Amino acid sequence: MKENPEIDELLNSFIDGELTARQQTEVQRLMAHDAKIAQRLRQLQKCKMLVSSLPVAEAPDEILEDVKASLEKRTLLGEQGSDFDERAGARHLLVRKVMAAAAMIGLVAVLATVVYTILAPEPVLEGPVAFEVRELPGEIEAARPKPRMVAVEFNGRLELKTSALVAVDAFINRAIEDNGLSVSISPARQQDKSVYSLRCSQDGLNLLLADLGSIWEKFDSATLSVETEAFGRQVVVNAVTAEQIAEIVNQDSLQRRTEVARDFALLNDTAERLPGREILAAIDDGSRHLITIPKPVLTSSQRTTKKPAGRAEDKQKVHLVIVVAGSE
Amino acid sequence: MTEAANMDAYASNRRINIDEVVLVKQCRQGDSAAMERLILRYQNRIYNVILKICADPDDAAELTQETFVKIIENINKFEGRSGFYTWAFRIAVNLTLNYCRRNVKLGFRSLDAEQVQYNSQAKQLLRQFLSDDSSLEPAVVAQNREMCEIAVEALMKLDDAQRAVVVLRDIEGMGYARIAEVLDIKLGTVRSRLSRARSRLRQILEAIL
Repeated sequence: MKENPEIDELLNSFIDGELTARQQTEVQRLMAHDAKIAQRLRQLQKCKMLVSSLPVAEAPDEILEDVKASLEKRTLLGEQGSDFDERAGARHLLVRKVMAAAAMIGLVAVLATVVYTILAPEPVLEGPVAFEVRELPGEIEAARPKPRMVAVEFNGRLELKTSALVAVDAFINRAIEDNGLSVSISPARQQDKSVYSLRCSQDGLNLLLADLGSIWEKFDSATLSVETEAFGRQVVVNAVTAEQIAEIVNQDSLQRRTEVARDFALLNDTAERLPGREILAAIDDGSRHLITIPKPVLTSSQRTTKKPAGRAEDKQKVHLVIVVAGSE
Repeated sequence: MTEAANMDAYASNRRINIDEVVLVKQCRQGDSAAMERLILRYQNRIYNVILKICADPDDAAELTQETFVKIIENINKFEGRSGFYTWAFRIAVNLTLNYCRRNVKLGFRSLDAEQVQYNSQAKQLLRQFLSDDSSLEPAVVAQNREMCEIAVEALMKLDDAQRAVVVLRDIEGMGYARIAEVLDIKLGTVRSRLSRARSRLRQILEAIL
């Protein structure tokens, strides 16, 4: 008989007694009407009988002892039951999962930082920024975005002492007038001293300082007090020079201005303590020009920043009170 | 439902000898005498099934031992949802089928094993037994060593999954539902796999004879 899987399944289930009573009746009816189905049933039954008739093997006697020995050996070797292994495994898996999650979070944080660094917009500059003026081709220069800068007002007080008060006073008045700063000056003459409250641009102050530089030797002392970002705190620069004042004022931020002023204060104080000073004090005034101790200047181009000329923001951004007093 | 309740329900619903449930409980409490009784109760049946699937007495003994070690070690995991008997046979059959797969991969056992030359009288007798109109009793087969060897050889030419179903049904006498539980397959799969296995066995035997 040609094999028919569906009939075979039915016949095998019949042989094994796995059919319902109704199905059994149906199979019996089929066999009664189809000799081939009955023949196939006998073939399958013979197969089953052959396998079922195989002798039953008995387990070797030593199985029980071997099992006991194996269990004892495992106990001696410290191998715990799988319950223990499973708990330990679960703990280990949990730790690994937590560590993997932590590593993922860390990685994501690092990636986010990197991406933010790359994609984040440039921070808006709230204060003035230093920048270098370069010669650029016209088109590039036109296309380049202009940096946004907010000039910071300089507030300071310059105290000058001189033995030639009258002459120095006259010189300063003339310099103020020559440089067109008379409008922004509020001079006040007090006993033995003149006070100039100057409100002008950096350029205007630079011109005045250039003039004052020519008579700087007439000052016995020059002290500049610079207001810092910390309210009420000042940096005092002793033995300051006109160039140093210009350099401090020309800084674009309060922080840079304070740093430069502090540097000058430190340098000037150090210079004052150099041995040359003591020698100078011992030598006659007339020979002063023979031995001169150069005022320290900042040499690093990074420490100071020149502002480009003609900046509109410069206007009226300097408030310097100049006090000229007579030496005792 | 608690494990104990599961086991009680199992014992009552399936009418399994209450002794077995008690033995399992005692075994879980570390009673070595109960453990021995469990082993003695099942060792022959498990060994016989394993031997009929793997066909090597030494390997069968080792696999039986391994089966009982696993049973004892994992007895606390046995929740009583299926019978202890089913659970134990599941462990045994899984270990044996893994062993068979491993050996086939390593080339230790070939399905096209060398053809053994059987005595023509045994062949004749077997051919007669298988013929449609024969009324030869199966006991005759069981008493003839060579006929048994032919039958085992044919059995070993089935694939592992088919052989396992045939052994569990025709040698261990399990019902289809229990075979499905032991092998963790569907009832319909048991039905179709067993049918194909018997058809194939018939073909193999005819080829041998």
